[in-house]
Amino acid sequence: MNNSCYIYDDTFVQLLNLIYFLIKNKMKPGNIQNTYYSPTLLDEIIHLEISEDPELITNLIQEMGPDTYRTIYYVFLSTEENKELIIYYLILNGFKYKDQLLYHRNLKCVTKAITISKYVLHEAHKYKGFIRFKELDNHVLYAEIEPLNDILYFISHHFEKRLKQEYWIIKDVKRGILSIYDKHKYILISENDFKLSTTKLSQQEWEMEKLWKLFYQTIGIETRKNDRCRRNFMPKKYWKYMIEMENEI
Amino acid sequence: MNLEEKLKILADSAKYDASCSSSGSTRTSKNGIGNVAFSGICHSFSSDGRCISLLKILMTNCCIFDCKYCLNRKSNSIPRAIFTPEEICEITLNFYRRNYIEGLFLSSGIIKSPDYTMDLLVQTITLLRKKYHFGGYIHAKAIPGASEKKLKELGLLVDRLSANIELPTEHGLKLLAPNKDKTKVEKIMGYVKENQTKHFVPAGQSTQMIIGATKESDLDIMEKSASLYNNYQLKRVFYSAYIPVNHDSFLPSLEKPPLKRENRLYQADWLLRFYHFQVRDLLDQKNPNFNILIDPKADWALRHIEEFPKEINHCSYYDLLKIPGIGVKSAKRILSSRRIFQVSFDDLKKMGVVLKRAKYFITCNGKYFMNPQLFKKEFIEKNLVYEEILPTSRPHEQLRLFHE
Repeated sequence: MNNSCYIYDDTFVQLLNLIYFLIKNKMKPGNIQNTYYSPTLLDEIIHLEISEDPELITNLIQEMGPDTYRTIYYVFLSTEENKELIIYYLILNGFKYKDQLLYHRNLKCVTKAITISKYVLHEAHKYKGFIRFKELDNHVLYAEIEPLNDILYFISHHFEKRLKQEYWIIKDVKRGILSIYDKHKYILISENDFKLSTTKLSQQEWEMEKLWKLFYQTIGIETRKNDRCRRNFMPKKYWKYMIEMENEI
Repeated sequence: MNLEEKLKILADSAKYDASCSSSGSTRTSKNGIGNVAFSGICHSFSSDGRCISLLKILMTNCCIFDCKYCLNRKSNSIPRAIFTPEEICEITLNFYRRNYIEGLFLSSGIIKSPDYTMDLLVQTITLLRKKYHFGGYIHAKAIPGASEKKLKELGLLVDRLSANIELPTEHGLKLLAPNKDKTKVEKIMGYVKENQTKHFVPAGQSTQMIIGATKESDLDIMEKSASLYNNYQLKRVFYSAYIPVNHDSFLPSLEKPPLKRENRLYQADWLLRFYHFQVRDLLDQKNPNFNILIDPKADWALRHIEEFPKEINHCSYYDLLKIPGIGVKSAKRILSSRRIFQVSFDDLKKMGVVLKRAKYFITCNGKYFMNPQLFKKEFIEKNLVYEEILPTSRPHEQLRLFHE
């Protein structure tokens, strides 16, 4: 049994470098984990000092095509337990099948990766609609989200284009990361390094929330009421920060 | 009357319009707020399970028409209200920047004359686009009978225009909506089709039909839809199950809206647009209505059982599309995968094929999923009907360890 568990220091680039090193030296990992991993009794923890190859990502894209590379990145953003191993097998097979890799749906790592990346993109798309901003006293728009996968990048990119004349802040409550936009570009920053100057809501905010709740309650047709259908499209996990659902939780 | 009361009245009057899609257009705003995502984004779902992506309101619910089925008809005594253009802009922009909505869906009752009403819509949307530089999605209703000049002005400002055909036959229209004229609606559709560019109505046009208010069969409805898709290149035809809001001797008295029938019509609509089916394949004079128990595609497959089972690894793309349980996406996945390996039942499941329907109609590498002697129409039909009614009829209850 393979008990070797390789540890990488949490970044995507480090993970790729580690995996490339393992493949080059024909070492087969039993597990790959980040530094938060608490080892079990049988694990044989291995730390490797690997220098980062600046050309690696370009080489990977050339070798297996942008689509595969993108899928690998989406898998990395997910909360799947063995995502590192899935990425390892994707890259291993990628050297063999090149840019045809994603058509090999009979390989387990490929079907898994496609399902996971689809899930990540799906959640990002849902949050583009379900996120709700509140206007603070200083006219900054503030929103909190609690997604399963790390999708703050997708959301920020979306709102950078959409609300470009506004100041906005989006907080990923689960990970403690904030995305802050200053009318030019957004940055991602840890909550330890940033503090909101005010949490007071603006005057108009309360009125608008009331109008929106009123609109939401009015627009549903009573004779067609279908709670199961609604929960299919909008599962309860999204309801927490949606103001129109406050009364129904 | 304050803003809150107005919103309540005018959203309530607008809610029977089915369309709420925000897809099919791209737009950016250089120095204002908002853009349009091509895929469309749903921002919430109402208690009836329909998507809310647009702020769906009427400009006014005053109307000079007296359509029997409509809540806003002249002869109803309900509270009436009218928004000013500035009020609509205020609500839209404030909702938009808080990410409640994807844009505005503005419709209106007909006040004074069609041209006057159109002018109100044009004024409002001009204000939004030109003064506030709003770059979000706008869907507007074209008012039948308005002049071409107004139609052109409106079309240049919005993403989607729609005019409701309401009832599939002229006879029904005369009966229930005596002031409405079919030719006026089709004139709008013709004009939009002729002039559509990426600046004029970029997301195309749509329309809506009421289902179950008159005695038309599904065949009449589908033939009307097909002719609309062919003649005017509509993006969508929406079907809206008739909900009794008024009492009138001309109207049927229904206890529940015919939701299942609406569902079947939407399924058939998809078959027309994406699966290369013709209306004549699905319905004919002998069976003018859809089978409520089985979806239209499975029903078609059962009537043409001699063409099945099809071999997944050999049959063409068009044949794949005809198999119940296989959609456009999974058909394409099968095509790209079978170049590389022989597709089996297990692989099909991973590709998103609905095996509980598809398995009766396919073979994988020459193998049928059960005893091939059971491949009989009656047997499959029984199983399909059973699968369809299963989820609602099965009582689910947690088992107890000890009986009380």
